[in-house]
Amino acid sequence: MMRALALAALLLLAAASPAAAHIVSSRLGDFYGGALHPLTSLADIVIWLALGLVAALQPPHWARWIVLAFPAGLLAGFVAAPVAGWHTDPIALNAALMIGLGLLAAAAARLPGGVLLVLAVIVGVVRGAANASGLDPETDPTLFGAGLLLAGYAVVTLITALAGTFRRAGAPWRTIAMQAGGSWIAAIGLMVGGFALAGS
Amino acid sequence: MIRLIALLLLLAGAATVAARAHEPAMGVLELREVNPGSYVAGWTLEPTIGGDKVQMRFPQQCHYALPSLECGPGGLVGRVSIDNLGANMSAVLIKLVPLGDEPRSYTLTSGNPAISILGIGTPTWQTWREVAITYVNVGIDHILLGVDHLLFVLGLIFIVGPGWRLVKTITAFTLGHSASLAAAAYGLIGVPEAPLNACIALSIVFVGLEIVKLRRGEGGLTARYPWVVAFSFGLVHGIGFASALSVLGIERALLFPALLSFNVGVEIGQLAFVSVVLLLIWAHRKLGATLSGWGEELPGYVIGVVAMFWFMGRMVRLLTVA
Repeated sequence: MMRALALAALLLLAAASPAAAHIVSSRLGDFYGGALHPLTSLADIVIWLALGLVAALQPPHWARWIVLAFPAGLLAGFVAAPVAGWHTDPIALNAALMIGLGLLAAAAARLPGGVLLVLAVIVGVVRGAANASGLDPETDPTLFGAGLLLAGYAVVTLITALAGTFRRAGAPWRTIAMQAGGSWIAAIGLMVGGFALAGS
Repeated sequence: MIRLIALLLLLAGAATVAARAHEPAMGVLELREVNPGSYVAGWTLEPTIGGDKVQMRFPQQCHYALPSLECGPGGLVGRVSIDNLGANMSAVLIKLVPLGDEPRSYTLTSGNPAISILGIGTPTWQTWREVAITYVNVGIDHILLGVDHLLFVLGLIFIVGPGWRLVKTITAFTLGHSASLAAAAYGLIGVPEAPLNACIALSIVFVGLEIVKLRRGEGGLTARYPWVVAFSFGLVHGIGFASALSVLGIERALLFPALLSFNVGVEIGQLAFVSVVLLLIWAHRKLGATLSGWGEELPGYVIGVVAMFWFMGRMVRLLTVA
């Protein structure tokens, strides 16, 4: 019941994203439009949260590099999308990322440092490209991209730090709670994937 | 190093946004009643997109075709809105000059694109409320788009760091810009905008230098007396805020609530910015992603270089116009 409600809410959020993004953009310009655009999208919210959780479950000396790796991936994807002609937000790939990252968090998997960084870059590239695909001709890509990068850096940094602080605060149930969060994310990914399959 | 990257990301946005931050595309439409319900309409300040491109919507009883607005015996009472407010036209001020009554002003912004015009004799609390909502929004927009003001505050945060001293410093900045904003809005002081903007850029260069000095262990005026520096430069920045109000041409009777609301909006935006920066500083410390060694001076250099770039640009504009 709860999961169905959560999915319904998230799908509503996803459906509302273009309108919300345009309101932001028209009021404060393309920089803030770019910064707030991902926060109106289901895929960005869930995947960024999942990436932060996975990073927070790693040793701090590796987790900290996500602060660089994820924005670098976002930048690469944002720049590459128009060049490569990517003009869609791939729901199946988003679902796969949600499932993969969710399972990693659910298992509290310890990743080699290099793998975490590669993962962060890949996620960044996919989401950077997806955000670039929604640009209309009137949007200034430089401002929009700068806003997107700043939001990506700030959100993932905060999630990683908050989740890491929460986990290291003491009781073992905290890690279990984060693992439960990971399982929820994987479940959302499965439902989004199912939704994509049903719609195809 | 990571903190530096974060700063660079912010500045990348800052550098590109700044050019537009203080060049709002606004318009002023005057509606002068010549016969009951009949108005002469005209743009006293035409928006850059052109007056004919503004998609005005008047109450049903009105017929709008420049240079006239016919509303019949009911007069201009009801909802007025603009459909295409946005990045190309941020605000429109409507000056209404009714027959046998005081002139009134209404401001429509992209955050507040509709207003309700009341008939003569209607209680005015709704007007005050409308002014408050409008100018809180204008204040928030102004500070969030005023990248130079935000960069100055960021520099102060770098120098003072989180804690009680920061509260006092930001409060001093607020007091400074509130005082000069009020003085400028009431016409007690007046400074030409071009040299003022150059001074604002120079104040940020100063803060950048102070960060470098502090990181080298040399102290500095801002490190010793941050509230004095914040208050002094707050006075300069406040006159800059006032220019945003003066462009809107708010009538004197509504100036106090407009000023108060605008200031509240500026503070809301400023507090939001400071909160986000403090959260990010906390996050970097928790992750151990902080600058060390010579890297500690880099934020000061980056802030100083960006501000010097603005200063030179503004000076060139000032000298070429003069």
